[in-house]
Amino acid sequence: MADHNPDSDPTPRTLLRRVLDTADPRTPRRPRSARAGARRALLEMASSRRLSGQTRTIARGRSRGARSVGRSAHVQASGHLEEQTPRTLLKNILLTAPESSILMPESVVKPVPAPEVVQPSRRESSCGSLELQLPELEPPTTLAPGLLAPGRRKQRLRLSMFQQGVDQGLSLSQEPQGNADASSLTRSLNLTFATPLQPQSVQRPGLARRPPARRAVDVGAFLRDLRDTSLAPPNIVLEDTQPFSQPTVGSPDVYHSLPCMPHTGAEDAEQATGRKTQSSGPGLQNNSPGKPAQFLAGVAEEVDAFALSFLSTSSGVSGEDEIEPLHDGVEEAEKKMEKEGVSVSEMEATGAQGPSRVEEAKGHTDVTEAEGSQGTAEAEGPRASSGDEDACGREASPESASSTPESLQARRHHQFLEPAPMPGAAVLSSEPAEPLLVRHPLRPRTTGPRPRQDPHKAGLSHYVKLFSFYAKMPMERKALEMVEKCLDKYFQHLCDDLEVFAAHAGRKTVKPEDLELLMRRQGLVTDQVSLHVLVERHLPLEYRQLLIPCAYGGNSVFPAQ
Amino acid sequence: MALSTIVSQRKQIKRKAPRGFLKRVFKRKKPQLRLEKSGDLLVRFHPFSGWEWGTGEVHLNCLLFVHRLAEESRTNACESKCRVINKEHVLAAAKVILKKSRG
Repeated sequence: MADHNPDSDPTPRTLLRRVLDTADPRTPRRPRSARAGARRALLEMASSRRLSGQTRTIARGRSRGARSVGRSAHVQASGHLEEQTPRTLLKNILLTAPESSILMPESVVKPVPAPEVVQPSRRESSCGSLELQLPELEPPTTLAPGLLAPGRRKQRLRLSMFQQGVDQGLSLSQEPQGNADASSLTRSLNLTFATPLQPQSVQRPGLARRPPARRAVDVGAFLRDLRDTSLAPPNIVLEDTQPFSQPTVGSPDVYHSLPCMPHTGAEDAEQATGRKTQSSGPGLQNNSPGKPAQFLAGVAEEVDAFALSFLSTSSGVSGEDEIEPLHDGVEEAEKKMEKEGVSVSEMEATGAQGPSRVEEAKGHTDVTEAEGSQGTAEAEGPRASSGDEDACGREASPESASSTPESLQARRHHQFLEPAPMPGAAVLSSEPAEPLLVRHPLRPRTTGPRPRQDPHKAGLSHYVKLFSFYAKMPMERKALEMVEKCLDKYFQHLCDDLEVFAAHAGRKTVKPEDLELLMRRQGLVTDQVSLHVLVERHLPLEYRQLLIPCAYGGNSVFPAQ
Repeated sequence: MALSTIVSQRKQIKRKAPRGFLKRVFKRKKPQLRLEKSGDLLVRFHPFSGWEWGTGEVHLNCLLFVHRLAEESRTNACESKCRVINKEHVLAAAKVILKKSRG
């Protein structure tokens, strides 16, 4: 992006650009200072408000507060490109937002980065922002923003509002618009948190084409999500979605992704029910690349299911929005569904667009599934991808649901789609994935010698875990076994000592005094450190109450002495 | 209570004393002995009273032993400039700590 506006022109864009240029790429994720916190609070508040559509006031308030804060701290811009850092978001904003669209007080720029960094639910915000972003882009890109507006309106109030704002901004051209513009701009600014949009230039917002880069999946997910909410006319959507879609796919992806999004939405509900079902679903076909990515994301749980979806998606993606390829892919995917690992690998192998998405999704799945799926492990935060996936899933479901299910095993595919695109898929997938993971390792375990070794080992393992916890360093397995042996020996010594002590006291029962004596001899209890101190230090509260006599009401002491 | 929910499966450690295990071990080794129960509960006010009696201190002892062992092996590993605790580290540490714990 070139800094078109001279510094003298304090538009949000220029400010933003300045911030981006000056801010160091470090990612100060931690709360830097009160200012940052204040800023964050402001921004977060603003972001939350914007959703409600009250960006106007927020923007203004934000701008005022944030301006001072933001100016001072350029730190927001974080170098994490992988994540939606303020920097990237701002960049996207700059790229996508039309120069002349809105004249906002400079402050607007600053607040944007802050909340992004801190946003705990970045994913959601990014999703939301993406959604908003899309409408933003649309107006500038599309020649007929009006067309978009109606399409968008039905899905989100914010979008429509933004569109209005953008439209106004565009029309006014440099006219300091009223709050609407400012709010819309701020909204757009705020919203574009996670959008990895990189329009060619500010002056030509219409040409904004974002190279997918790393965000491909996220974008796709968001896009799908967006689509989900509103089934915008594909034509119009093309341009907008483009930035979000994979670079390879280009506009076609966008096109498809849009339908996918609504699909995923609808599918989510079904997803829960039939996650396992292999229903690459008509959605795959319809949604083409957009959906495949989404499906991929959502299907983390089921390898087969995923494979199928992935296959379909990948094939679809490569097919460049051709239903046929999708169809074929879907079918292939279905066949492959049986094979667990294959399907997963398929996903990776195929699809131009899909690969990036698939990989991301796969990374997610890998994380969740931990299966042989190609270690795409785009471990870019399985959570993050899951969030995106969810969005994608959501998008895909509604799309599939809305669009007439393809002739392809519609039911199966549909079901398959459902599980994949589910918005909660990520969550669900994570949950099922964990049990899956847990189950898998458990199953192969052999039931060793039941008799005495098992409970003995089980008890020892408890202490072995404590050992590794205390050590705070990675350990070898042999070392752990060694620890077990030591514990064994230790227990023997312990019993012997206790026996001796009890016998010395003429008792047949081991009492706490014996233990205290033992610990004193061991050097754990000294004159400075009493047993109670140790109890307080190392034992949880419940035990402490049991061991340390304490006086309670009614002239009673517990435990009684 | 004492069982902390294993959320991350990594740094969450169960704090509960494996009473059954401890009692079993003790019984096995010294069947003639008994672990006291702190039976003089004249005042039962504690909701947890029936829960962990005689083995609380034994568990504490084990905890401290494991703790010392871990510290010692960690020291050994750091001295040998290894990032991972090896068997030798643990072995050397065990020798020292067991000797100290003989009482």
